[in-house]
Amino acid sequence: MARVAKVEQPAATGTGLVVMVGLGIAFLLFMAFLNVVKSGNLLNESNLLYATLTFYAGAGTLYLAFGITGTPSYIKYASFATWIGLLANTGAVAHRWYQAGHAPFASIYEMLLSFVWTLAVLTLIAEKKYGVKVIGTVTMPVAIVGVVLMQLLRTEVRPLVPALQSTWLHVHVTLAMLAYAACALSFALAMMFLIKDKMQTETFLATISLFCMVTYLGVLTRFEKWGGLSVVAWNPAETSEVFLGKNMRLFVVIPELGWAMVLVLAAVTVPIVLYLVWRKTGDHRFIDIANRTVFVNILLQVLALAFFVARAKEGQYASPDADGLYTTSLAASPFILAGLVGGIFVSLLYLLLLWRRDDLERMLPSAEELDRITYRTIAIAFPLLTLMIAAGAYWANRTWGSYWSWDPKETWAAITWLVYAGYLHMRVTRGWRGRRAAYFAILGFAIVMFTFFGVTYLLPGLHSYA
Amino acid sequence: MVTSLSRKIWQTLASIKTGVILLILVVIFSAVGTLILQRPTTDPDELQRAYSPQMLRVLDALGLTNVFHAWWFVLLLTLVSLSIIAASVQRFPNAWRFYSRPYKSPDENFRKAQALQAVIPVRNEEAGLSAAERGLRKSGFNAEHIVHENSFSLFSERNRFSEMAVYIVHASLLLIFLGTSIDALYGWRASLMLTRGEQSNHVQPENATTRTLPFFVRCDSAGRENYADGSPKKWWSNLSVIENGNVVLRKQIAVNDPLVYRGLRFYQASFGDTGKIDRLELVATARDGHDQKDFTIGLDETFPLDADTTVRLAEFFPDYAVGDGRVYARSNSLENPAAHLVVESKKSGKQINVWRPQIPGLDENEASPYIFEAKDVQMAYFTGLEVSHEPGQWFVWAGVILLGLGLAVVFYLVHVRIWIVPVRDARCQLALWVGGTANKNREAFEHRFSKLVEEIEREIKNSEQAAGVETSVATVAVR
Repeated sequence: MARVAKVEQPAATGTGLVVMVGLGIAFLLFMAFLNVVKSGNLLNESNLLYATLTFYAGAGTLYLAFGITGTPSYIKYASFATWIGLLANTGAVAHRWYQAGHAPFASIYEMLLSFVWTLAVLTLIAEKKYGVKVIGTVTMPVAIVGVVLMQLLRTEVRPLVPALQSTWLHVHVTLAMLAYAACALSFALAMMFLIKDKMQTETFLATISLFCMVTYLGVLTRFEKWGGLSVVAWNPAETSEVFLGKNMRLFVVIPELGWAMVLVLAAVTVPIVLYLVWRKTGDHRFIDIANRTVFVNILLQVLALAFFVARAKEGQYASPDADGLYTTSLAASPFILAGLVGGIFVSLLYLLLLWRRDDLERMLPSAEELDRITYRTIAIAFPLLTLMIAAGAYWANRTWGSYWSWDPKETWAAITWLVYAGYLHMRVTRGWRGRRAAYFAILGFAIVMFTFFGVTYLLPGLHSYA
Repeated sequence: MVTSLSRKIWQTLASIKTGVILLILVVIFSAVGTLILQRPTTDPDELQRAYSPQMLRVLDALGLTNVFHAWWFVLLLTLVSLSIIAASVQRFPNAWRFYSRPYKSPDENFRKAQALQAVIPVRNEEAGLSAAERGLRKSGFNAEHIVHENSFSLFSERNRFSEMAVYIVHASLLLIFLGTSIDALYGWRASLMLTRGEQSNHVQPENATTRTLPFFVRCDSAGRENYADGSPKKWWSNLSVIENGNVVLRKQIAVNDPLVYRGLRFYQASFGDTGKIDRLELVATARDGHDQKDFTIGLDETFPLDADTTVRLAEFFPDYAVGDGRVYARSNSLENPAAHLVVESKKSGKQINVWRPQIPGLDENEASPYIFEAKDVQMAYFTGLEVSHEPGQWFVWAGVILLGLGLAVVFYLVHVRIWIVPVRDARCQLALWVGGTANKNREAFEHRFSKLVEEIEREIKNSEQAAGVETSVATVAVR
């Protein structure tokens, strides 16, 4: 177990933080209110989204605080904030639906909106029905990242192209969102299981370092000569990527950003090297150093993110493929952005685990219970995935005359299905319980995320870039 | 020798290990197929840009540029099917035995092994059992009397069917594989381009010779609707199917809504300008100003303006330009249209060239007795139809429905069994042994089981109290 010298922290009183978060929410809402008074428009989508973000952020803070201090009153206020956030989220979904005249599933923005909504609903269900109180510690930050991403992606209602005007599309995407949210929940539960199952904190250290490493390696596939990083060019007037030809995006190179990413990659590699040295020598000092490095790495990652955001938001950059200068935008690189934010987020969760593991474990249901609930969420997700694929095939058949054409999205959806099918077989026939089942649940969710984001942004990117 | 080998192969195929290895292989190769550019979906140019010639040769030789149609991928899927069949066939007899001959009277060893059991002391075997039966029914279970030589016991069961659902799921997967195989062997896709009024029975499959259909398809009309911002909202075509000279079917098709005839589906796939005009709506005003006519006209059609004068649409350019003293079309899209009208007088036979808009040097608009104003232009569109023949799709859909039902049963129907047997407990007292199992969601069943035991205990107590009064009455009567 963690033999780290515990940093003595002042025992936060239950009310202090609640009041602070409440004041924070009140302040943010007041600022928003001033804006609303100026524009005279209260119930529009961006205001509702803003309220959603505010309350989810408040809830997320309280859930995290609950995870850290174990003060039971936090959870009450956190659920309360989630409820209000969910209300605003529902309003945003309804507004969008009414305004667009179709269910909000047509663009990645609308799908995120629905995904976040489903995730909040499932969080509340898991909390109330199954008593997994700290689940919000994992799911709420995911919801917050979702809402932040939404702010960056295009928001105007686009008319539906003919192929998308189908009830089957709505059936298909609703099922997908439900299934993916259930997968997200099973992932969160599997993580909780591993914590409760006394998985070594050092193993988590290795895992999060590996995750960060892979993320930065992925980002650095865009590394250019002289230390630049190539990102997709963005046309603000049309709010879309700049295309050279069919499926060929124009890339611009942001100078120096590549070196920054290399630096962070080197930094996030340090803990894993130290971990390996510890495994070899058994000298725990290496782990102590690694833990301190994680702390430094978070700062470095935040700096890299700030650098990336600052450079991508403003300025014009040259492209290797075309003359002239082009702008880019955060919206053009959602994958990089999600990767960077995700890296910071998992590192923070690791610190939480490192410092407050005992409290966290006390808050969780028993390992067997978590294992069972994980299985049960997958038992919900799997039939939904099946129906989602079937509805998609039926829709494709009505639209293009072929129910299966092996396009990357279809193929990855099938891969997801196969992985979960593998999980179910191993569990039922081989009696896989506990750790191995949890790893499978985590793997399944990783593939879901890749299917959702990676295939959309990375594979076409690979194709146009290769 | 041969039998042992074939048995070995069979055993290997049926093992779950083989199944999982095959699934992992399918996953790996599918993933590879999404990472490497695939021939059927990419331009040859793009492939050459992406990979060096040597690399491309290697990839082609390995089939990695067309993974999903490569023989080894098909073989892999076939092996998966065989593995599903072998595994199901091997496990089926046991499952069927379990299903068809339910175990109704548990022996002592079985009873000892049960995780969920309770022993309730009773005074009278028969009264106890009938009280237990009432308890079962009150808790929502049925009850069956299992008669032995000189006693009986109770057995209750529900959703025995759920034990077989796994086989339904596997069978449905095989049905889907069957459907896709039929389509891979006998299905085809082709395209068909039609302009308004045109009919054809020849369709053009990709990389193959033209197919002749046993009937004609005619495009009666086609069009598009746009959103306010100019992006397409709807493409539609009115199609007629003509067989032996008779129209047998008419339908307006649109994206998402195909026409189906004789197992062939016609999809609205694309849509475009032919650059030709369909109808032009004109307003003609006489020079003296009191005669105004609103009419539509097609190319080379003539319209009588008055007793003497006619007008003919001689030429139409959707996007015109003038050069070297003549008019020519710059593109096929309706950007900058020009119409050439010929106004003719029957009496004098004089022809006047009218151009809308005026083209200096060519038009004689001033000489025309009528002034023309264009009100609306309808272009002739061509409609691109995709034709597909998928005889296996019905197996696929049947398989999908069966799969959905099967999974619902697998995950959510619980096979519950309860036994109630009269026994002698440790102190040789008469008692009822109650045992139960559920094949999934055991925690919930545990809860239900303890409720059931409570209910049975209550019933037994009630009946014994009532019986107690009766006995005492009886005793009194005897005395």
